[in-house]
Amino acid sequence: MLLLQLLANGIVTGSALGIVAVSFALIYSTTRVLHVAHAGVFTLGGYLAWSLVRAGVPDLLALGGAMAGCVVLGAAIQQFLYAPLERRGAAQLVVLIASLGMLEVIQNVLAAVYSPDILQFPSAWAGRVFGLGGLRLTGAQLATVGVDFAAFGWVMWFAHGTLLGKRIRAVAANPFLAEITRLEPRRVHVLVMAIASALVCLPGVLGPLDYGLQPYGGVTPLLTATIAMIAGGIGSLAGAFFLAIAIVVLQNLSLLVMPGEWSIGVTFAIFIVFMLFRPRGLFASG
Amino acid sequence: MDYLYSYLILSEIYVLLGLSTNLLVGVVGIFSVSQAAVFGVGAYIVGDFLLSGTLSFLPAVAVAAVACIALNVLITLPSLRVAGDYFVVTSFGIQLLASATFTNWTWGTGGANGLPGVPPPDLFGMQIASTRGILAVSTVAAVLGCLAFWLILRAPFGRLLKAIREDELAVAAAGKGVLRAKVSAAALAGAFAGVAGGVYATYLSFIDPTSFDLDASILLLTMVVVGGARTLWGSVLGPFLLLALPQLLTLIAIPTTYAATMQQLVYGALLIAFALFRPQGLLGERL
Repeated sequence: MLLLQLLANGIVTGSALGIVAVSFALIYSTTRVLHVAHAGVFTLGGYLAWSLVRAGVPDLLALGGAMAGCVVLGAAIQQFLYAPLERRGAAQLVVLIASLGMLEVIQNVLAAVYSPDILQFPSAWAGRVFGLGGLRLTGAQLATVGVDFAAFGWVMWFAHGTLLGKRIRAVAANPFLAEITRLEPRRVHVLVMAIASALVCLPGVLGPLDYGLQPYGGVTPLLTATIAMIAGGIGSLAGAFFLAIAIVVLQNLSLLVMPGEWSIGVTFAIFIVFMLFRPRGLFASG
Repeated sequence: MDYLYSYLILSEIYVLLGLSTNLLVGVVGIFSVSQAAVFGVGAYIVGDFLLSGTLSFLPAVAVAAVACIALNVLITLPSLRVAGDYFVVTSFGIQLLASATFTNWTWGTGGANGLPGVPPPDLFGMQIASTRGILAVSTVAAVLGCLAFWLILRAPFGRLLKAIREDELAVAAAGKGVLRAKVSAAALAGAFAGVAGGVYATYLSFIDPTSFDLDASILLLTMVVVGGARTLWGSVLGPFLLLALPQLLTLIAIPTTYAATMQQLVYGALLIAFALFRPQGLLGERL
């Protein structure tokens, strides 16, 4: 039974990290920026929703408001940080340094405004426990699975079934060709950052409903998500999503044999195995 | 006066760490946010040996340096084989894993409580307990480090490293050992971090995981970015400037609970500003 519960918990958290991975992969495959500050956008979403809920806004509206905030931040980072750096022909290393600086700024502004301590959401439904067979899942966990799988379905439809999605994939596949065929890669980049920031807000709000908010809590999830993206194969959104679930399930199962403090070690070991034996990932395209 | 000494000692320790980070980030050109982890390994090794009394200061520092050389080479090897962005993941992973180890491996590191009561350094049987004595030790270490860095960048080996940064393919085509040069630079970076860790542990006599976490690694990166990559003077200026920052922050009255947050906030803002407007730092070369 414990095994089944750990498996279920793994799928819940995994689907959340799956959306982090998908949104990150969307950015990375289009803009080629390793957007470390995405961890900050993820964290900001949770805090915005918390403030709105505290101010009496209904939960769903608060989620919408938080997503809007994340969209603004993500688009602004692309427009005012990455785009100018790209225009100046900055080295990849410099862009990374800027992104890391942005992450530090976001995290510490949040810590200064809200305090560095863990904050809990006041929403009562999130903590209610539901029994499913022998499994026990909280309301927040059920919402996480439902919303994140729905979001994944939406992304797949968006990327493959809409004109805009095709335009984004065209820019990702060949920026130069996209430029001369007037697909306007720069505008697409801003758009991708906006969409990915809205997406990452979902797990950013739903996760903390369960285990609380922490200003520095974004780095480990983003690291796991990045590992999932690499293991899944860069360019494959489905690969990123399902590998994230697989990694988190493995992490949860590892709790049977070792204490939770070392779960980062499990994640990292998976990464090393991939680096050694399949550095291009499982479902790499092209 | 003691206050000034403490600022000087810490700055000199961070000069060694700045040189270490500069070798990796500036000279070899890989993004690293795990130098504080290597620094921590050096500090804990020296702390453990001195606390148990099995080795005296110099041999303990030597062991720490060798361990950190091995560790740093092991960490950087993947970056020399896979694409740059993958190494960023490796680097974050190593740092988080090291932090988890420092916090949870109670037997070797004292866990979150740290290692209290590390004895002061001793040289040839004499204990150096005074702050002034330790300042002499840290000064010697920093000057030796600077000298080594300066000599290496001037030597043929340094020119080879510079050439690799300019055009790696051309250097490989000219028959030079690119991988070997990068590994040597990483090894030297490890040695610097190990020695810095040893001096740090004996000076503070108390070490705990917060000195070697991701924030500490980011501070080191900020020092190199602000001071300037790939030059000796950049790595010297960065630590002296950034360690003065906490004092500046005490001038504008900020509640002490927010001091650390404010410092990290300033580091982040500095990283962004320098990346945008002066990627070569104050005294460095193009990054």
